[in-house]
Amino acid sequence: MESVTSRIEEVKAAVSAGLVIERDGRAVASPASTQEVVALVRSADASGVGIEIRGAGTKRRWPGSISGDLLLETRALAGVREHSWQDLTATVGAGTIWSHMQKALAQHAQQVALDPLWPEQATVGGILATNDSGALRLKYGSLRDLVIGITLVLADGTVARSGGKVVKNVAGYDLHKLMIGAYGTLAVVTEVTFRLHSIPHSTQVWTLEATEADVCGAQMMKVLDSQLSVEAMQLRANAGGYALDVQLACMEEVMRAQLGMLDALAGVSGTLGVDMFSARHRLFETNGTVAKLTMLPSHIAKISAAVVRLGGESVAQASGILLARVPGVADLDRLRELLPPEGSLTVLRAADGLGTLPPVGTSAALMQEIKRRFDPKGTLNPGVVVGR
Amino acid sequence: MSDSAIFADLRAAVPDGLITAANELQTYECDGLTNFRTLPGAVVLPRTAEQVQAVVQACARHGVPFVARGAGTGLSGGALPAEKSVVISFARMNRILKIDIPNQRVEVQPGVINQHVTDAVAPYGYFYAPDPSSQSVCTIGGNVAENSGGAHCLKYGFTTTHVLGMDVVLPSGEMVQFGSSAPDAPGYDLTGLFVGSEGTLGVATKLTLRIVKRPETVQVLLAAFDSIRAAGQTVSDIIAAGMLPAALEIMDRLSAKASEAAVHPNYPVCEALLLVELDGPAAEVAAQIAEATALCNQNGAWEVRRAQTADERGLIWKGRKAAFAAVGRISPNYIVQDGVIPRTSLPDILDEITRMADAVSLSVANVFHAGDGNLHPLVLYDKAIPGQEQIALDLSYRILEACVDRGGSITGEHGVGREKQEAMGYMFSEPDLETMHRVRRAFDPLNLSNPDKVFPRTKLCGEKTGPYTPHPLESAGVAEYF
Repeated sequence: MESVTSRIEEVKAAVSAGLVIERDGRAVASPASTQEVVALVRSADASGVGIEIRGAGTKRRWPGSISGDLLLETRALAGVREHSWQDLTATVGAGTIWSHMQKALAQHAQQVALDPLWPEQATVGGILATNDSGALRLKYGSLRDLVIGITLVLADGTVARSGGKVVKNVAGYDLHKLMIGAYGTLAVVTEVTFRLHSIPHSTQVWTLEATEADVCGAQMMKVLDSQLSVEAMQLRANAGGYALDVQLACMEEVMRAQLGMLDALAGVSGTLGVDMFSARHRLFETNGTVAKLTMLPSHIAKISAAVVRLGGESVAQASGILLARVPGVADLDRLRELLPPEGSLTVLRAADGLGTLPPVGTSAALMQEIKRRFDPKGTLNPGVVVGR
Repeated sequence: MSDSAIFADLRAAVPDGLITAANELQTYECDGLTNFRTLPGAVVLPRTAEQVQAVVQACARHGVPFVARGAGTGLSGGALPAEKSVVISFARMNRILKIDIPNQRVEVQPGVINQHVTDAVAPYGYFYAPDPSSQSVCTIGGNVAENSGGAHCLKYGFTTTHVLGMDVVLPSGEMVQFGSSAPDAPGYDLTGLFVGSEGTLGVATKLTLRIVKRPETVQVLLAAFDSIRAAGQTVSDIIAAGMLPAALEIMDRLSAKASEAAVHPNYPVCEALLLVELDGPAAEVAAQIAEATALCNQNGAWEVRRAQTADERGLIWKGRKAAFAAVGRISPNYIVQDGVIPRTSLPDILDEITRMADAVSLSVANVFHAGDGNLHPLVLYDKAIPGQEQIALDLSYRILEACVDRGGSITGEHGVGREKQEAMGYMFSEPDLETMHRVRRAFDPLNLSNPDKVFPRTKLCGEKTGPYTPHPLESAGVAEYF
């Protein structure tokens, strides 16, 4: 059997000179175009070289350790390729840093209406691969609602695109949906087309603090059932107590009335202007085990309280996604016991710094078959198994 | 499927729901695309997911194709039976299984009629948002297969936005769950992949849907313009002002005239009629209506009318929804097309459609969901004039190509089905289609689930796509094409 070194030499020889370099003893490539990705991936696949795909690397350990011999960095696949602001669409390279993209789109008061983790570092491709989202999801949906087209490169070098540059389109399979949350196991995504939303004229954050989780939970359920112009909502929980943050997005003329209605629903006046929507970053900043739990909104208060009882803290989006930090992995078993069957728990960071993708249930065999059809040799992100 | 072995298996699977008599099978020989007809080998009417599974298992065992069918209102031949296939009708699986208002979820069987979901949750102030114009008769299962839209998907999204999880019988006969009522189920997003796959990846037996709170108020504006370009610019201006209307519709002179003749909505006579629906908190909608009115005036609207009552609003919409059928009053035959373009290309493509139509001396009426660039050109012709039907079909196809040339799509909501298989080859490259085939083979290696749809096939000699023939439901006034 050939050595890894000789197989990587084969790849080097097959692609343009200088594309594959050596850094800290590892072969690294930063292709700058879809065509360079094709050349690289095709030759690696042919030579039996596993590829680790990496954007900024902010979430690279979520699916566990990745064992590729060649590191494919997407950083050079960056930039806003097209911003059709009158059509409310934009096409960007997968390596584009999220905040850079948003800054460009903001020139026309537009945005991709998603608030992922670490927007100053994370790339479009990495956010897509992990299906990350934030509290804005309540109003605008997740990536599956915002991505309308994609260009991807399969392990054998096939370039395919699905969807397009129009929001309404039902031609063919939505391959882009298959890529969202696939942890880079099916293809290398090189370009993404988003539908855009206007940045609201005015927003206001209303916060209710309480010592009981149920107080915040009850208000959250009332707000969900209201006709208020809620853009984002989250429930924060830690040893100091609980807080519900509600972000309204509406015209100035009606803001005061809407804030009044929030007070009326709560029976007390909320605090205004405290923007804690990036609070979930804090969960990653101290030691402990971090997990993503999904559930129906009506379970959020109960699970939040359980996290606090275990000595942890959490931030939950009202759509039913809760990020929790607990002292140890054993605490997660307690949370699993509390989760109803429709929920799930994904370890993002255990004591060793690595996450674990959870079992997927009855569709595991089908998911493995899809992986086999897309990447039969297991070239892309080896070690990551999505359909277990 | 002549052998009695599969009949015996099907009868065992669904003892009281097997149809094999040729005269009864005729009911199922087509869907809303009525010029394509194929008699199935058998029709089954299961009542439970277990029965559906037993039917698919029998088909898998005998290598017989199957086609799921809801109400048969589809416009692209998605429910057209394959030769000697088994049609699985969901007519008897029409129960709403669970309503969870606090979490805004509903669980249904696939045969539930779209409108019935809204009816069931309306007392709580909720609605099911996707609203294809056939919503009073079409089923959720069919909506899921086609990823159905409707006039209000500009703001609320398509079927795919509202389907969270499902039970599916795979073509192998295996029963699996995709997604969940909770967000972000682990694994690949098979729910997202399945919605809009036109019945080619298996058969859903249960669906978990998201419902939406009714807005506090709804207002409709009607504006008359001297040119489509001016109406189109107004649409862009409204969007650029940061508004997200619930609906933005444009009708040209020909289609407005036809609607006026059919249902008398009292439309002004003009080159382009713009319909704007805004919903949300009352005070906000009032402010937006004022802003939208100003934008209409700025772009030269010579009449801007606000519907004052629910009845007036209903009448304006009735005229819009009647447009397809109404065109029958001004032309003996016509083809309903469904293409998409980036919204800003609207004036240009309309000029081009006019040029193309003039060149072959035909007329095209235009009705469109202007907010999302979804065009429904209606190509008018007279079958009695020798050769004109073929000219109309060619024109209709070239309009789709013009949509694709502008970065658009061959279908915004009607699906590919049988009708647009060939156009797929114009929109997608071979590698694109080959990649989609990988998905297809992973789900259905034996090609049994609604075979010979969606993907291009070798065209048979003399074969052609078809003109518009009114669906019986449409003729009966039960449903409109939209």
